[in-house]
Amino acid sequence: MLEVTDLRKVYGPDPTAAPAVADLSFTVGDREFVCILGSSGCGKTTMLRCLSGLVPATSGEISLRGKAVTEPPEDMAFVFQDYSRSLLPWMTVRRNVAFPLRYKGIDKREAATLTDEALDAVGLSGRGDRYPWQLSGGMQQRVAIARALAYRPRILLMDEPFASVDAQTRSGLEDLLLKVWERYDITVLFVTHDIDEAIYLADRVLVLRPPANVGHEVTVNLPRPRHQVTTKQEPEFARLRGELYAALDGRSVAA
Amino acid sequence: MIERTTVRRPSLTLQRSRHELDRTLFRRVTAFGPRAVPVSVEGTASAASAGPRERGTPPPGAAQGASRLRRLAERRRVRDLGLRVAGVLTVLSALELCSRVGLLSQDWFPPVTETYAELGRLAAGHPLWTEIGRTLNGWLVGIVIATLLAVPIGVLLGSNNTAYRFSRVVIEFCRPIPSVALIPLAVLVYGVGLEMKVFLIVFVTFWPILLQVIYGVRDVDPLVQDTARSYGLPPSARFLRVTLPSAAPYIATGLRIASSIALVLAVTAELVVGAPGLGQSIVVAQSNALLPRMYALIIVTGLVGWALNSVFQAIERRLLRWHPSQRREVAQ
Repeated sequence: MLEVTDLRKVYGPDPTAAPAVADLSFTVGDREFVCILGSSGCGKTTMLRCLSGLVPATSGEISLRGKAVTEPPEDMAFVFQDYSRSLLPWMTVRRNVAFPLRYKGIDKREAATLTDEALDAVGLSGRGDRYPWQLSGGMQQRVAIARALAYRPRILLMDEPFASVDAQTRSGLEDLLLKVWERYDITVLFVTHDIDEAIYLADRVLVLRPPANVGHEVTVNLPRPRHQVTTKQEPEFARLRGELYAALDGRSVAA
Repeated sequence: MIERTTVRRPSLTLQRSRHELDRTLFRRVTAFGPRAVPVSVEGTASAASAGPRERGTPPPGAAQGASRLRRLAERRRVRDLGLRVAGVLTVLSALELCSRVGLLSQDWFPPVTETYAELGRLAAGHPLWTEIGRTLNGWLVGIVIATLLAVPIGVLLGSNNTAYRFSRVVIEFCRPIPSVALIPLAVLVYGVGLEMKVFLIVFVTFWPILLQVIYGVRDVDPLVQDTARSYGLPPSARFLRVTLPSAAPYIATGLRIASSIALVLAVTAELVVGAPGLGQSIVVAQSNALLPRMYALIIVTGLVGWALNSVFQAIERRLLRWHPSQRREVAQ
C-alpha cells in the first residue's frame, strides 16, 4: 500500500545539514491501522508532510500503491492537529466537507450524498448548516474527519489529531475513528506521542527515533472491537505499554 | 516587510468589547435559572442534561430562559440608544445655551436651533441633494477605480515575494505624499471638474487599499493553504476559495479607510479648487455670510461621512459574519 524507502529530509539549501528525517523505511499494508509513536521534535510532522506530498523529500522514495508520491495524491486525505485552523471559518460545516470533492471531479449530487454520509458517520448530521466556530473543539475535529472521509481516500494520514482536545472527548474520538476505519475500509497512518492511544488504536506501532527513523516496532494483538476500559485492562496492553515506554525512554536517554 | 502602521482591523476592539458585554450578560442570565444549565461545551448534549439536578427543583425551561435573555437584551438596547441620544442632546443644548447667553459670539456661532432650521430648509428646497450627489459621484468613481487597480496589483505583490520586494520602496515613497500637495498638479492636468477630484481620490485611496490587500494575501494561514493543497485544489481554486476569503477582512478595512479618505479629498478639492459639490457650497455660504447655512452644510458633510461608514459596516457585518470581529456568538 504505502512504501517508504530511505526517506531523508533536510530543510534549507545545505544537504549536509542535520536532517529532520533520515533513513526512514517502513511499509503500511492495505487497510492496516498503523500508529507512529514519537516524542515531540523527532520529525513526525516532517515525515507526514513528506508522505502527503506537501513538501518534497530530499532523497528516498515514497510510493503509494506503486506510484511515487510527488504531490498530494488523490486517494489520500490528511487530518491536521489544529482543527480550528484547518477548517475554513467562512464556510458552513457542510461546505467545509463538500468543497474538496468538486476538485476530485465528483458531481454535485454525489458530493451531497458523500457529505451527508460522512457527517452522519461522525455523528454531526444535524450540524451541517452551522459554522465551525459555532462548534466545540471535539466537534470541529469531527468535521475535519468527516471532510477526510467524504473525500473517500484509501489512506488517511493523521497528525496528532486528538492532541488538543480534553481526555473525555479524546476517547470518544478514538472510538469514533475506529468505527469509521472499519466502516470506510481504509488504511490509517496515525501519528501520536501518546503510548496508550497508539496501542489502543493500532494494528502495529512504529516508534520513531530522532532524526525520524524506525527504532522499534510492535504488533498489537489485542482483539477488536476494542473497548476503552476492558482493552486497557488486558495484560497484553500493559506489556505493550511497558515495552513501548522503554523504547521511547531508552531512546531519549541515548539522544 | 513594511512596518504595519496601517490600522488593520480598527473595529476589532470595539466589537470585542460589545461581545464581552454579551457574554457577561449571558452569564448573569444563566445564573438566574433555578439550576443554571451550563452551555454544553462538547457535542455531548446528553452529558450536560444528564448532569446532577437538585432534588425538587423543576427542570429549567429552555424557552423561558431564552425569552428572558431576549427581553434583557432588548432592554439593554433601548437603554443604550437612550444614552446615546441623551449624549447628543446634551452637547447640542450646551452649544445652544453658550450661543444664546453670549458665551460664544452669535456672529460666529449661531444658535444650534437656527442651524438645524436652516438644515431643514436646505433639505426641502435648496439643491442640497444635487450637491451631495456631486460630492458622492467623485467619491464613488474614485473608490471604484482605486479598488479595481489596487486589488489585482495587491494580490500580485502579496503573493510574490520578488514582486513585493521590488515594489516596496516605490510604495513607501508614494504612500505618505500628503494628498493636498497633489491638488495643483491635478488642476493643471484635469481642470477643476470631476476628473480632477477623481484623480486625487484614486491616487490617495489606492495606497491603503493596496497595503491591506498585500497584508491580507500574505497573512493567509499556511495550514489552510496546506489543507487546500492536500485536497488537490488547483492554484486558481486555492486563490478563489482560500486566499481571497481569508484576505477579505483586510480588504474590507482598506475600503472603509479609503472611503473616509475619499470623502475628505472630495470635499477638500471642492473647497480649495471650487469644483462643484458640498465643499463649494460651504465656501459660497461663507462668502455670503450665511453662517447658519455654512454650519448646516458642514453638518451635512459629517452626516454623509457617517452614513458611508455605516453602509460599509453593515456590509462587512453581513459578508464577514464568520470573522472573529463580527461574530455575535461563540460555541454552544
